[in-house]
Amino acid sequence: MTLERNILLGLGVLAALLPFAITDQYVLHLAIMAIFYAILANSLNLVVGYVGEFSLGHTAFLGTGAYTAALLSVNAGWPMWAAVPAAGVVAALFGLAIGAITLRLQGPYFVIVTLSFAEVLRIVANNWIAVTNGPMGLAGVGQGGVSDKSAFLAIVLGLAALTFYLSYRFVYSNAGRAAVAVRENRYVAQSIGVNPFGTAMQAFVLGAFLAGLAGGFYAFYISFVGPEVFRFAFMATIIIMVLMGGKGTLLGPVVGAVIVTLLEEYLRELQELRLSLFGLIVMAIVLFLPNGLMGFVARRREQRGDAPSLSPAIEERTV
Amino acid sequence: MDLFLQFLTNGLVVGVFYALSALGLTLIFGLMRVVNFAHGEFYMLGGVVGWFVTTYLGLDFFSGLVLVALAIGSFGWLVDRFLIERVRGQGEEPGILLTIGLSIFLVNITLLAIGPAPLKVARAITEGPIFLGPVTITKMRLLAMVIGIALIVGAHAIIHRTRLGSAMRATFQDPMAASLAGIRTKQVYAATFALGCTLSALSGMLLASIYSAQASVGGLVSLKSFVVVILGGMGSFPGAIAGGLLLGVAEALWGGYVATGMVDIIGFLLVILILVLRPQGLFSIRAERA
Repeated sequence: MTLERNILLGLGVLAALLPFAITDQYVLHLAIMAIFYAILANSLNLVVGYVGEFSLGHTAFLGTGAYTAALLSVNAGWPMWAAVPAAGVVAALFGLAIGAITLRLQGPYFVIVTLSFAEVLRIVANNWIAVTNGPMGLAGVGQGGVSDKSAFLAIVLGLAALTFYLSYRFVYSNAGRAAVAVRENRYVAQSIGVNPFGTAMQAFVLGAFLAGLAGGFYAFYISFVGPEVFRFAFMATIIIMVLMGGKGTLLGPVVGAVIVTLLEEYLRELQELRLSLFGLIVMAIVLFLPNGLMGFVARRREQRGDAPSLSPAIEERTV
Repeated sequence: MDLFLQFLTNGLVVGVFYALSALGLTLIFGLMRVVNFAHGEFYMLGGVVGWFVTTYLGLDFFSGLVLVALAIGSFGWLVDRFLIERVRGQGEEPGILLTIGLSIFLVNITLLAIGPAPLKVARAITEGPIFLGPVTITKMRLLAMVIGIALIVGAHAIIHRTRLGSAMRATFQDPMAASLAGIRTKQVYAATFALGCTLSALSGMLLASIYSAQASVGGLVSLKSFVVVILGGMGSFPGAIAGGLLLGVAEALWGGYVATGMVDIIGFLLVILILVLRPQGLFSIRAERA
């Protein structure tokens, strides 16, 4: 708990110093994307890692956030500081509505129904040309506003700080612990007075809000939003980050986001083989690192006899 | 009214293939509880391998179909023994991630090998329309549909009439008791997975002979198969067939009367509706949610 907090703070300070050390625009872009993915992966982790339900519809919130910010900017000329929080709020409202339906279900049903919601939104975005401009997407988001890469880095860092502060407060609050209790044993949790639906809902809406913020940022940073934001490939990338880093820890998704972002960039040199290799790496991780990198680290620490593990969640899983 | 009958026929033709592919998935997803996101890739491989054996090996359509069944069946067997078996009994997540990785790998290797262009599978018979009252249907579609129905009946016979089928049913009722009774459950799991993949691949080859085979088609097929399995109820044989036909007809009617652009939305709307109103599916054996 403290270790996790300290490492996160350290990483934040390091990232904040980046613009002073690096002027290379390409490296800055990589840093921005890695932090953006860290926010997204963390927001998904709240549902996957702490509630323990496998959501494959998280792009629904990323996408509604991105479209909200883009529409507010293009049609109403909202600046970034107003449009991004609005994107978070709209995504949270979607989270409330979708969660109310989907959180009644568990296991494979939950997986498929969340995925269905994301697909429905993608098809609507693709076909509702009057509002979303269909497959052409919305271009020119945030024109005339921020355009400097180091400014974007500062903004995304601010969002990441907010994300991890909120997640940290949630995870180590009573609600977060209740969610973990439901994840580990639904019936025991219910018997001591935890409301599974209510706690899951809190995590789900918080995750949706954070994903919406990330989506709003993405719209302004890329300055273009198309139906691809709802695509399953995007979802697969985020889920791979969470599971590779280690779900149920705050640090895991950050590690996963950095590794996957760098991996995708470096594999570019292999061109056509890139995605095939990526698929193989994903399979290898499932088979050889079932608890993600953080699970691996936690187990090593336990073997060496360092008693306090990174998080109670990992401790239980590696026994 | 004539137009309605035509839409209905088109929907039923496509529905047979949805049913065939979903039947494969209902074995894997409904009974083995593997949320197999690579299912559509086996469908795609069926079409692509079918194109390869008919074009390059010069086989006729029917021997090609047999070869595709053998090739994809053994591939599915190997996938289960070497990949799926290692994450069995660990819940859904490792399986989801594993099959997502597998599907990324298979799509991109196929793209690398044959490129993104649509491929034509050699036809079994000459093309020509048949008129049944107000309804028109091509000969090839009718033939493919008949083969599809025969395959569904065959799969049903395997599951309900053979020793392997009894072993499958025993294993999915209680794996422990089945292995105590001397059933080699690992082989049964692998055989079930292989059968599921084969059904999907055959559906892919049959549809490729009507339309075309393409490396990138798998994702949508996986999603639609999931939709059909949920509609019919997990692991339910008649459910998969009814769900497939329902989805085919609903899409054809929606495409005919409402809007062609949004045709893919109908399956997802149906699945959301069914999970809210009747979570166990239309024909589920067990009324449970997880």
